[in-house]
Amino acid sequence: MATQSTRRVQTGRQERQAQLHDGFLRYGGYRWLRISGGLCGFVILSYMLVDITPRHNGGSWYGYTLGTIGVGLILWLTALGIRKRTMTPGAWSLKAWTSAHVYLGLSLIVIGTLHTGFQLGWNVHTLAWALMMLVILSGIFGIAVYAALPNALSTNRDEMTETQMLDALRAMDRQIHDAAQPLPQAMAEVVQSSLEQDAFGGSAWNRLTGLYPGCATARALAKVRETTGPQADFGNDPLEKVDTLLERKQAMLTRLRRHLRLRAMLEVWLYIHVPATIALLAALLAHIVSVFFYW
Amino acid sequence: MAFLIRTITITADGREIIRDRRVEKPQISVGRAAERDIHLQDLAVEPDHARIEQIDERRVLVRSVGTLGFTVDGKVSGRSEIDAAVGAEIGLGGHRITVGREGDAVTLTIKREAAVSDAVGEKDEAEIFSLKGKLLGKRPVAWALAVLILVLLLAVPMVTFALRPAPDNPKLASHVVGDKAWSPGKLSTAHHALEGNCEACHVKAFQSVRDESCKACHADAHDHAPATRIAGARETPGLGGLLLQGVAHAFGKPGPGACVDCHREHEGEGAMPPTPQKFCADCHGTLKDRLTDTKLGDASDFSDAHPEFRPLVAVKPGVPGGHPTFERISLADKPQDLNGLKFPHGLHLSATNGVAKMARTLQVEQGYGDALVCKDCHTPTADGVRFQPVDMEKDCQSCHSLAFDQIGGTFRTLRHGKPDQVEAELRAFYRTTDPVAPMELGGATRRRPGLYAQGQVYNAFFGAGVVRPARAEDAIAKAFSPKGVCGECHVVAPPGTNGARGWQVAPVHQTARFFESGWFSHEAHKTEKCESCHNAPRSAKASDLLLPDLKSCRTCHGGEGSKAKVATGCALCHNYHIDDGAPWLVTRKVAQAGSDRGRQRP
Repeated sequence: MATQSTRRVQTGRQERQAQLHDGFLRYGGYRWLRISGGLCGFVILSYMLVDITPRHNGGSWYGYTLGTIGVGLILWLTALGIRKRTMTPGAWSLKAWTSAHVYLGLSLIVIGTLHTGFQLGWNVHTLAWALMMLVILSGIFGIAVYAALPNALSTNRDEMTETQMLDALRAMDRQIHDAAQPLPQAMAEVVQSSLEQDAFGGSAWNRLTGLYPGCATARALAKVRETTGPQADFGNDPLEKVDTLLERKQAMLTRLRRHLRLRAMLEVWLYIHVPATIALLAALLAHIVSVFFYW
Repeated sequence: MAFLIRTITITADGREIIRDRRVEKPQISVGRAAERDIHLQDLAVEPDHARIEQIDERRVLVRSVGTLGFTVDGKVSGRSEIDAAVGAEIGLGGHRITVGREGDAVTLTIKREAAVSDAVGEKDEAEIFSLKGKLLGKRPVAWALAVLILVLLLAVPMVTFALRPAPDNPKLASHVVGDKAWSPGKLSTAHHALEGNCEACHVKAFQSVRDESCKACHADAHDHAPATRIAGARETPGLGGLLLQGVAHAFGKPGPGACVDCHREHEGEGAMPPTPQKFCADCHGTLKDRLTDTKLGDASDFSDAHPEFRPLVAVKPGVPGGHPTFERISLADKPQDLNGLKFPHGLHLSATNGVAKMARTLQVEQGYGDALVCKDCHTPTADGVRFQPVDMEKDCQSCHSLAFDQIGGTFRTLRHGKPDQVEAELRAFYRTTDPVAPMELGGATRRRPGLYAQGQVYNAFFGAGVVRPARAEDAIAKAFSPKGVCGECHVVAPPGTNGARGWQVAPVHQTARFFESGWFSHEAHKTEKCESCHNAPRSAKASDLLLPDLKSCRTCHGGEGSKAKVATGCALCHNYHIDDGAPWLVTRKVAQAGSDRGRQRP
């Protein structure tokens, strides 16, 4: 009996924990996935069953219906940008809202594309569709990185905070600076270049790829190695100390850059998702007005 | 001569610590090496970087020892004289040495300005770890894109549309800028010239294309039926259709029945797609429910919802001097076409009877085969669509000769189509010719007088000569009799009928087009044998209507989208804008085939 009740308590706790950690993707037992999937299925089925002559297009009654649903969804989905600024719990919680945002957003692939009747071209109408797809695809990327990267981020940080990372780098720099004092000028300059380079510099490209071909620390280490490599270390050459310190800084930088890369991946999609959404709203307005302007 | 070296260091909590040191030397050394008088822990400073020496009580000379220089008041220099009373700032790597004077000594105030490394300098942690500043901001990009789209793709076309000059001619070049981006698809070939000239059809803002715009060019389009009939014929739309109609009316769209309802544009390059049968079926599918007085049968699909054909047939033959009476009768009622002829098709197409024997006799002269075939008498029209009327002189007379006399090698023939002339010819013939002279009257033999007696040869010959003109009436009656040269093919009325003086022949009517509302082209069916549709070999009467019925056509033709050999929408046989010509779809196909053939030619 005792074992059973313990087990029950444990199961209950696990359930509660699972609920606590239930992300927006799994919210409410995939409630919005089911709603969105049902909506897509209904739309696809009706698209196939409804006979529109001469062929499906946005201007048929069915096309107008899909278009109206699409616009409504887009406006509501955009409202997440305002809604997210207020965190509330419950059925209308931000989590529920985000879950619906994700799954209903995905359903727009079906609704929006069937609204076009697959009549695409170089015009404002297709521009609106293309922007919508861009927003959705960037959103899918965002969800993918949100699902995959936080783990990698945490592993890489190794329980260090960002402040600690910066402090470690600073300590490293100070030590290198002190250790390099006895060096002849030529070598001192090489070491100085490592100190002067901004570890947080580099372009968005460097951040996203994690490739820093112009890394001064790597260059300094290579230069120092040219001397320290072939010679024996008796512990009395200041260059040997600089060598060791530069190597440690290099390792530190590698971790920092991996951290920056993961963070950049988590952020970069929003730089497409948000402006493309606003551009989509503009294109949508142009699309709707132009359709009725030249009717 | 002395230097007062004042070193300012800053503690972690920001306090300044000032240390003074007096050096009683005329010259001091500056560098990174520990043994220098001024020892600067700065990797940008050489171990032995510079010397500072006093020239006199006021002036000092600064000169660099190594390859790196220094700055004096921001200016790069390798050697510089400084008036200590005036003062100056020397920059060496990340350090600043301010030169001044205090009492008898020259003061050198040393302070580290630059951080040991970039990382050690001030950093905004909230920003440096994020992408902020690495990419164009979300907000400016969003605004820029939105404004760009709204201006270029919305405002510019709308404003230029509003400001365009009034068009004298709708076909003239466009004045609206940027509206090409509004076009949802290319125009069809027929309207290709209007591409980019949107306002030629879209005349008013927020008003759909009106029929008037179409009629500006297509002035000759026939109406399908009176507008009131069409309005009464139209089926009440379903829920979806009502919704669309509601939206359409709210935005001032014309119709139903507007040109654009059927003629959809912007569906891509190439010919405009033919109107689908649904557009016809909307009314004609259940037309009788609404237009109860219509003579038309309901039709919505050729495969299974099309009434039997109703050809135009002569129900009453024409009497001499009058026309036959025509009526459209369904083939289901097995109508007879009383065309005024007596002509058994079967007899003429037999391969074994006298007709076939005659054909073989005339094989070389007339180009017949072993028996007669359809083309021996029926000649297609130039376009191949229908057949020319059968012509007695050309098509029948090679067998049915009207010759009655021979003069030398030339045959005299009766005039076809002129019964009174036939009578006159025969009378004249008997009046001007003698009976055939008996054999005994020939030669130079002397004859005895007794031959004039009753029953003798002279008496017989001259007696016949006296009554010969009266024999013409017999010949005429024989020609017009049912077995005679006229009566064997024609319906004939004897003199006195309807008060006429002479013999009369009933008019013959050969119908060129039986289906008035549908289009049929023999040219399009020339891969078929005549007999596969027309059962002529088994026909015994001229009045047999040898037209194939609906079932016969359905062996190849099915409705639009059916699996039949030829899937056929309404537009293949019927014209919406009814006229006598071929349906638009057919003319287009013929034109296309023509241009394809033209292309194939070298």
